[in-house]
Amino acid sequence: MNPFTMRKIAVEARNIAVSYDGGKTRVLHDINLDIHPGEFFALLGPSGSGKSTLLRLIAGFVPAQGGELLVGGEDVSRVPAHLRYIGMVFQSYALWPHMTVAQNVAFGLVERKVARHIIDKKVEAMLDLVGLSGYGNRRPNQLSGGQQQRVALARTLVIEPRVLLLDEPLSNLDAKLRVQMRQELKRLQNTLGITTIFVTHDQEEALTTCDRIAVMDGGVIQQVGAPEELYSRPVNRFVANFVGSINLLPANVLASDASGSEVECALFGRFRLADQLAVSAGEIAVRPLAMHLAPPGTPARPDDIVISARIESREFMGEFVRYELKAGDRPLTVDQSHRTHTALFESGSEVRVAVSPAEFRFLAD
Amino acid sequence: MTPQPALRAGLAPRVPAKTGATLVALGIAAFLLLFLVLPVGTVIYVAFTDGAGGLTLSHFASFFSLTLMRESFIGSLSVALASVAAASAIALPLAYLTVRFEFRGAVLIQTLGVLPLIMPPFVGAVAMQMIFGKSGAINLLLGDHFDLNIPFMEGLPGVVLVETLHYFPFILLNLVAALANIDGAMEEAAQNLGSTGFRLFRRIVFPLAMPGYIAGASLVFVKVFDDLGTPLVLNVTNMLAPQAYLRITSVGLEDPIGYVISVLMIAFSLFAMWLSALALKGRDYSTLQRGGAALARRRLNWWEAVLAYGWIGLVLLLTLSPHIGLLLLSFAKVWSFSPLPDAYTLEHYATIFSEAPAMMGNTLLYCGLAAAIDVALGVAIAYLMIRVKLRAARALDFAASASLAIPGLVLAIGYLRAFKGVEIGGYAFTGSWLLIMLAYAVRRLPYALRACVAALQQMHASMEEAAANLGATRARTLQRVVIPLMAGGILAGFVTSFITAAVELSATILLTTSQGQAPMSYGIYLYMQSIAGRGPGAALAIIAVLVVAAGTYASNRFIRSRSATREMPR
Repeated sequence: MNPFTMRKIAVEARNIAVSYDGGKTRVLHDINLDIHPGEFFALLGPSGSGKSTLLRLIAGFVPAQGGELLVGGEDVSRVPAHLRYIGMVFQSYALWPHMTVAQNVAFGLVERKVARHIIDKKVEAMLDLVGLSGYGNRRPNQLSGGQQQRVALARTLVIEPRVLLLDEPLSNLDAKLRVQMRQELKRLQNTLGITTIFVTHDQEEALTTCDRIAVMDGGVIQQVGAPEELYSRPVNRFVANFVGSINLLPANVLASDASGSEVECALFGRFRLADQLAVSAGEIAVRPLAMHLAPPGTPARPDDIVISARIESREFMGEFVRYELKAGDRPLTVDQSHRTHTALFESGSEVRVAVSPAEFRFLAD
Repeated sequence: MTPQPALRAGLAPRVPAKTGATLVALGIAAFLLLFLVLPVGTVIYVAFTDGAGGLTLSHFASFFSLTLMRESFIGSLSVALASVAAASAIALPLAYLTVRFEFRGAVLIQTLGVLPLIMPPFVGAVAMQMIFGKSGAINLLLGDHFDLNIPFMEGLPGVVLVETLHYFPFILLNLVAALANIDGAMEEAAQNLGSTGFRLFRRIVFPLAMPGYIAGASLVFVKVFDDLGTPLVLNVTNMLAPQAYLRITSVGLEDPIGYVISVLMIAFSLFAMWLSALALKGRDYSTLQRGGAALARRRLNWWEAVLAYGWIGLVLLLTLSPHIGLLLLSFAKVWSFSPLPDAYTLEHYATIFSEAPAMMGNTLLYCGLAAAIDVALGVAIAYLMIRVKLRAARALDFAASASLAIPGLVLAIGYLRAFKGVEIGGYAFTGSWLLIMLAYAVRRLPYALRACVAALQQMHASMEEAAANLGATRARTLQRVVIPLMAGGILAGFVTSFITAAVELSATILLTTSQGQAPMSYGIYLYMQSIAGRGPGAALAIIAVLVVAAGTYASNRFIRSRSATREMPR
């Protein structure tokens, strides 16, 4: 059914570094990554975090100044871009306006001097695979944004690259189409089984589409993990903030051993955490949705910590309501999921906040 | 409560404003009909009718039955094509160097792009004869050392040499702009799919820059095909423009051959423009997106640097040769049969400051008036078309732009014929300086119009809406918001019209009837006719070049300060 043979290939980065102006501007610092064969992997970070540079380095457009880049086990750092067989879909799609859709898709095969009849067959099959059969004779500027995106994918995939790189592939599409395309990308990646690296600044895109994510900031990889792992076990303040919203509360470690730790924070008092902690001070991170609001005096579950607070303001977000609270003079953000008949708390009203210490994550930095 | 007038105007701006706008549009239409459509129509009419007014092709038949005419036709065509080819050969490597490599020569190349344009080609032709001519500096040196004499400046090849050096910047500027607008990802995508080197350039980069190249090349073709001054100065008469001029001035205004040539020249201009429009249709290849990076640049290695600087140096030397020649000529006491002048003097400048101030005054008067008419019409047409959205304004824009396709020589012939016998206050209209000024205005209108349109398009309509919202009438808004904001574009349009009109020769040479009404361009041509007049002619030309250079610099400054993005061909 699928005429394209994609081998599953691992991509590994070993101590990769890139800097400009003779080392003054550090763009990538000591990058180490193990991307598994066939994995759908995301590089997630704000603009300027180095994620695009890393992607372009893998494609061969940015030279590494140190370290190794292993594709399928061999170091390709010195292989020029046009010999790497690493397909890249550009953010702007970079479709050539002077060629038809079919000519665009055929380009890579023509460059490899593939026989004409094989090219025709492959181009047709690939256009079919991305749902554009019959569009071969159009010009790129006659297509919608979503269709252009598919042509760009087809053009890249038809050469059966070893790895597929996607540079912010959804950023030029409108919101509805973006959701549809990301599901389609995932399906296509599943069908072909090709190792795919996806650059995005949108955490939702990364969380929903990818098997694993590397969160980057300041040219450094902050954390690598599965989406749910990044969300529930962020290793530092940056990851906690970037992947979802979070409350960060200063905290002190009172005692710690192999069985767990005793921690105190001004807002929630003393509680026990399951991890052993090597530092004496840090922050408690708690997701806004992990806390539960109720009118004062409502009984809570026995293990929950209960405090009282006052509603300062609320924002209605649709699926949930976001409350800004003050507990004493300390601010706290709490989200409550919303159903049709849930009553909302009014600004100025007193509430009881309940949270299980199991939702707390201690961040050392 | 009755709404305030300004509010009502803001809600339904078209209704009350249309009457005034229509009147203005009618006025512009009358001007264009009288001074563009009527004369050009007359030329075409005369070419296709016999004495009794019946439709005929016999004038064309007799044109093609004359050996000299056939030869001139082939001559003009081959000179224009050869100039395009030679200009491309010079411009292509230079354009590629600027966008592809990181090196300091880019500034030199930009200079190269302007230097030739500040000197009218017929002036350059005289100066180049002093250097490349039969007894010019180069051939004297060649004769002394190698007993060689190369006829650089003789016949059609001489015209090609002058025109190429003068017009290659059109291709260079357009090509550089097109290349600079290509998104770097276009090239990276090709590398990513296994393409590299010259193959990548041929399959991706050049096709994407093609529209820019074609725009430049067709412009060069038209300009060379229509040029009258250069062949006249080089004494080459087997081309169409000089033949038309000679027929009209020697045989007379009744001779149909001049009109046949005029029609052929218009036809070829239109053909070249149509070809370029066809090539550009639906191909806005300027793919660079906001925030996107242009083509990747790299450093030159040593042998590439030698080649690049060598080529730039050679072109720079050639490009500067008319300027150097002209400067030497203007200071030369005696310069004949020697590589450099034998003695230097300031007396030519003294001569022209005593003889030629009237000419300078005439140029200032004609070109100033013409440029003022141009910007007034340009602002009005742009405003009617873009803001009032008057449908008829599109037609005005088209008609005004169409004058690009009309060679100055043809317009002048049309004026002489169409206004024959018309008298103003007892004087013949065809003998008045007004016609020279009007010819300038009509010919330079497209430049001013494009500058005004660009300036207005860059200005967001909300600027005016804000003024209307605060109670300003349309006229007050125009006066207090629109025109001040367009000032940069208007000024650039004025200066461009002025300086290009100041060095116009082909219409001038036909329409100037007496010494007293001659502008500088005609004066330079007259002086250059005699050996003794060359020195003063060169001095006068130097002054014209300085004026044009200052104007070009000022106009670029105005445009840059308004951050206009396109190069304006002139």
